Amino acid sequence: MVQLIVTPETALADEPICIRATGLNPFQVVTFTASLTDEKGKLFQSRAFYKANEAGNVDLDQAAALGGDYVGVHPMGLFWSLKPVNPFRRLLKQDVMNSPFYIQLDIFDSLLLEDSPKIHPKASQMIERWFSGPGLQRIPVRNGRVRGAFFLPPGEGPFPGVIDLFGGIGGLIEFRASLLASHGFGVLALAYFAYEDLPRSLLEVDLEYFEEAANMLLHHPQIQRSGIGVISVCKGAEIGLAMAIHLEQVAATICINGTNAVHETPCKYRDLVISPIPHQKEYTQIHVSGALNFRRIKGDPRDEVNQQSVLPVEKARGHILFIVGEKDECLNSKAYAEQAMEQLKSHGRSNGTLLSYPGAGHLIEPPYSPLCFASWNPFLSRPFLWGGDIRSHAAAQEHSWREIQKFLRCHLAPSRSKL
Amino acid sequence: MAQIIVHPKTALVDVPLQIRVTGLLPSQLIMLQASLTDERGELFQSQVFYKADENGEVDLEHAGALGGDYVGIHPMGLFWSMKPKKMLSRLLKRDVINSPFLVHLSVYDITKPFSSSPDSLMASETVERWYSTPGVQRIQLKEGRVRGALFLPPGDGPFPGVIDLFGGIGGLVEFRASLLASHGFATLALAYFAYDDLPKNLDVIDIEYFEEAADILLRHPKVFGTHPLVSAFLSSPLLLSIGMAMATFLKQVAATVCINGVFLAEQVVIKYRNEKFFSFSQHLERLRINELGLLAFYSAVGNPQEEANKHGLLPVERAEGHILFIVGEKDYSVNSKIHAEQVMEQLRRHGKNNATLLSYPGAGHLIEPPYSPLCVASMNPFIPRPVLWGGETIPHAEAQEHSWKEILKFLRHHLTPTSISKL
Repeated sequence: MVQLIVTPETALADEPICIRATGLNPFQVVTFTASLTDEKGKLFQSRAFYKANEAGNVDLDQAAALGGDYVGVHPMGLFWSLKPVNPFRRLLKQDVMNSPFYIQLDIFDSLLLEDSPKIHPKASQMIERWFSGPGLQRIPVRNGRVRGAFFLPPGEGPFPGVIDLFGGIGGLIEFRASLLASHGFGVLALAYFAYEDLPRSLLEVDLEYFEEAANMLLHHPQIQRSGIGVISVCKGAEIGLAMAIHLEQVAATICINGTNAVHETPCKYRDLVISPIPHQKEYTQIHVSGALNFRRIKGDPRDEVNQQSVLPVEKARGHILFIVGEKDECLNSKAYAEQAMEQLKSHGRSNGTLLSYPGAGHLIEPPYSPLCFASWNPFLSRPFLWGGDIRSHAAAQEHSWREIQKFLRCHLAPSRSKL
Repeated sequence: MAQIIVHPKTALVDVPLQIRVTGLLPSQLIMLQASLTDERGELFQSQVFYKADENGEVDLEHAGALGGDYVGIHPMGLFWSMKPKKMLSRLLKRDVINSPFLVHLSVYDITKPFSSSPDSLMASETVERWYSTPGVQRIQLKEGRVRGALFLPPGDGPFPGVIDLFGGIGGLVEFRASLLASHGFATLALAYFAYDDLPKNLDVIDIEYFEEAADILLRHPKVFGTHPLVSAFLSSPLLLSIGMAMATFLKQVAATVCINGVFLAEQVVIKYRNEKFFSFSQHLERLRINELGLLAFYSAVGNPQEEANKHGLLPVERAEGHILFIVGEKDYSVNSKIHAEQVMEQLRRHGKNNATLLSYPGAGHLIEPPYSPLCVASMNPFIPRPVLWGGETIPHAEAQEHSWKEILKFLRHHLTPTSISKL
């Protein structure tokens, strides 16, 4: 009798699981599939073809996939290779507290390229992938101008405080904040436009808004007083870097695939106004899939005319971790991070670290998140290209998530004498 | 006032155009767009950004595109970079005699590209792209078992004869045959399955069917009768290179063009008189799905160098005519380069040197006549998921231009009466 053994069946979304099939015929070719329906009813699927060993077993920790959505030994491959059945949809958990993603794992005793109502799996297992751990609290934030959601771990604390910023799609994205909080951080997922009564579009970045959020976080009774961290991606990372430079409340900043200058929208803090490098949309390229590649529309911070837009990263007091996907098709994040590191070095500063991942794309997310290569964007008529080679991207997500937590724990430890 | 000046406005699809935009402001940023609606009502479009020079002109012979569907100087880029609005559609002209593709060229002043607000149209022009020249005749063929369409060049002839074969989509694809006829070849677009009363599926390929077709062609009063002809074709995954099989077994074949072919009888039996070839190797578990959910077959297709495939290999050393292999190195449906190199090696081992290999880096599977849009993936009626053909837009376009010239040169060289009598 064919059995599919999965442990654990319920886990945090960033935890690996063990998948084994037994009771097959020796050397039989089988298909493993994973299926998930998101909160909008859209189906995501993955499949891989394996050959059972002489005992009729397949253990995904040891067996190599021969084909399908990935090849080689990848115990979590079925998760990070999930693809939308309708292309260009992005998998994004909205409700991070009350429900998990339910993923159905199936094993078929033949090569199955596509689902068929006539062919049934030999064994199935439903598993739960949660974006919040037990005891985690979610507190909606409407304090002064600040809008977002605050995630507090169970227990007394005090916990290191972190602000989580996403990028140019706006709104409020919570899944990374809730996962990070499940690892012992007090995390504020902060919205800054296209959310509730915040501006509909981003016309300027007012650092005093982010300072308000930072102070609010620091003053929470269960948050450490010594300084906060920031985790930020894309446009959020541009803002995160500006925060690291201008806000003394920030002790540690993680910039994922961001820039080292102000682009498109002016950035202001009190009476300082940094004018942006304008986007040059005529350099947009169209990928073979029809998706838009914006990688070349941002000007070069090294150009003479753009100098006033470059962020003075040497003025940041805390530590900065730059995380870069070298196959980022949204922007040339490697070049920007290298320029920032160079600028630190030339000013005798050593508070920056660069983690550069060959093959990783723009959307570097927590481990086992499926690679989103391109997706629809509410502001554009065509899908938007993010880039990434699927296998290297998955490896980058696993490695960087560990590094992110290590970095935050190291630089937000209460014992550190503060700024 | 802005104007688009195009020359010639009516031409064969493989003829390049001169396109110029005038009457702009110096350094004005514009978007050039080409659109075409195919016979099924599907829209294909390309969009490219240019900057006018100090005279307010954009001459596609000299101006480099800044962005859009291609960058750099590519006078015909608007044509080969067109993409379907409905993904996975393939541009394929069905009626090759009575109507052209109408391509609308437009210039827009750009303020916010790709946003939902419409840009302002400044000028437009329409060109006709034909798959046959005036005087090319199309004759439906239904003789014996043979089904297809014969395209005759204008004039009395006699003309060199060519058989044109397409791959695993079945039916009858005529556009390349009509183009070849427009270049002076009497071309038989030959169907062999899923057409008229032919078998719906392909389990057995009987080379005698193709021999019948070759004899019918050679008997035609307007075709050079004394000797052979060529088969030109495009192979497809899971299907044997039939043209190669014809070259191997049929004396009638003087010259063969094989585009991205497979030379292993896999999943299908090939027979000629009392000989049979079949390989048992099947590796569908090696099928790969790419980041956009498209199916890449190349690692699932049998490797001709493996021992297990020995009895599926065609005895190509028996081919008496000349062979031109055309290979796209970014073909994701078959590992065509390995197959072509294997055949070249087999010929060399038997002391033959009647083959040439043209290998194009960056080109995909569907190498078609020049300026055809790159079709990187499409639905195949026999396969449940979209098939990835592969190819990088610019190198693929260059490969199409270069290979078409080479194909015409090759056919002319090996099918003139003097070269034929040398066989």
